Amino acid sequence: MSGKKTKLVVASGKGGVGKSMLTSALVMLFAKEKKVVAVDCDADAPNLAIWLGGIRKWDKNIPVIASARPEIDYKKCDGCGLCAEKCNFSAIKMVHPVKSVKSGVEQFNRVKGKPKVNPFLCEGCGACEAICPKGAIKLKPVQNGEIKSAIRRLAERKKNYKFHLVSGQLFPGETGSGKVVDKIKAEADKFDYDLMLIDSAPGTGCPVTAALRDANFVILVTEPTLSGFSDFKRVLEVVNYFKISWGVVINKWDINPKLSKKIENFAQKKFLGKISYDQGIFKAVSNLTPVLETNLKVKNEIKNIFKSLQKWLGR
Amino acid sequence: MTKTIAVTGGKGGVGKSTIAILFANQLVKEGKRVILADCDVECPNDYLLLGQKLKETIKKVYAQFPKLIKKKCKKCGLCAKTCRSNAIFQAPGEYPVFIKDLCSACGACWIVCPYGAISPKKEETGKIFVNKIKDNFQLITGLAKAGLEETGPVVTKVKDFALDFAKKNKADYVLFDTAPGIHCPVVSALIDCDLSFCVTEPTPMGAADLSLILDLCQKLKVPAKVILNQADLGDKRKISPIAKRYKIKIEKEIPYSRELVEAYSQGKLLNFYL
Repeated sequence: MSGKKTKLVVASGKGGVGKSMLTSALVMLFAKEKKVVAVDCDADAPNLAIWLGGIRKWDKNIPVIASARPEIDYKKCDGCGLCAEKCNFSAIKMVHPVKSVKSGVEQFNRVKGKPKVNPFLCEGCGACEAICPKGAIKLKPVQNGEIKSAIRRLAERKKNYKFHLVSGQLFPGETGSGKVVDKIKAEADKFDYDLMLIDSAPGTGCPVTAALRDANFVILVTEPTLSGFSDFKRVLEVVNYFKISWGVVINKWDINPKLSKKIENFAQKKFLGKISYDQGIFKAVSNLTPVLETNLKVKNEIKNIFKSLQKWLGR
Repeated sequence: MTKTIAVTGGKGGVGKSTIAILFANQLVKEGKRVILADCDVECPNDYLLLGQKLKETIKKVYAQFPKLIKKKCKKCGLCAKTCRSNAIFQAPGEYPVFIKDLCSACGACWIVCPYGAISPKKEETGKIFVNKIKDNFQLITGLAKAGLEETGPVVTKVKDFALDFAKKNKADYVLFDTAPGIHCPVVSALIDCDLSFCVTEPTPMGAADLSLILDLCQKLKVPAKVILNQADLGDKRKISPIAKRYKIKIEKEIPYSRELVEAYSQGKLLNFYL
């Protein structure tokens, strides 16, 4: 697929099934033959850099301002309560301060009064600003995260190769996880690449749909547990909705070979391969050793999955 | 008084659901009335781990999405300009197009439309199920429609339902099993809880994500306790400095157990205790 930029997403529904582990290894394998940009789109809990051996110093640090919060001008506000009523995220409550008889400290009595915004529930949608008849609410932009990027250089058998890594972080307590993912992808898109390998967040919500939206292929990682299989089918609904071709990798297949077989049968031709359960991975990652630099059995299993993917990509 | 405890962790697959169920089992064994509410509405699993099926919907959850009334629309473009989710696209001189995949159902567009040309249309965004596990142990499951953008509001509804249910059933404890991550559905589950159990594993990823979730708990003013799962794998020296930084002690260490992993895989966690 020369000349065409391919976006490959690794997703799973369930967390902790091995998305980042597999992505990290595939990045290192593909980087030997293609221009690769690795993207950590799990802005909630980004871990791809750790699986790649850790990044000591990032080249770039870009603030993300993709959220907003209402600021209320209490001089203009007449306490009509429309903003609280229309907020679909229950982020505005009408409160009015009363002095507690006992302590003399100001407390809030939630009967009526003035609107108070709970910043942790606020989505920054602007419905309150739009509805306020007094023009007392203005939305102010908020930095809700940051993007980091680095070049990772590797060497194997005297051959040097490199890839770009773009990662991001949603700040704890901020909203707009999906919007941060959009920005991370836009930043990654600025690099010259053949293949963008995207590590998605778990679940099926906004960060996942943001990661999937323009993908060419999705690797769905699962494990042979009832929850792993169920979550795989959940995220598959989203993948099918976007009409993206997909393949399945079963991680830790040997913890339940029977269920593993069932998933394999479910996937049929979409089955890309399986990886054994190996506690050695815990030790390796704890020492920041990338899986491909170990002597674990999983290394060869991942290489086989890589070969199946190469076939799909048409080399 | 009902005590509300969230079981969370930042990282996925660290054992949130397992710990939530084992803790619920333990409390039930001690004679407490317990409600476990699965607030991982994108991928709920507690019912599977307890060998249950989701049958009858007890309650449906709705949100309102915009619907254009073409007759009234003057193509002024204000709705597209107002939408902060980029879910309304309008080419010059054309009617606005609503992109459902991006819509957060906030309602700003119909509030702002000067011609009343956008009407809110109620649509199902999720379901709530109840399973009776034992006499004193009920499971509430929230399930969001797959691909729904904003799952936080669904979590809030599931939580309200669980708290109401707890009141009616005079429950001693409501446990909220949260989604992984730190964004809206997790925030919605954590907010106003009496306590949170932050489950982690002894790896650099576990440590990084623990620090994020403890930061979130601190901001939300929810007291946190750390539970270290699979404590004997990896390197647990990674975890103690994080807990120390937030002045939180590691409440419990749970060693790796093949037996537990197999029971998890087969959905037979009912006879394990914390």
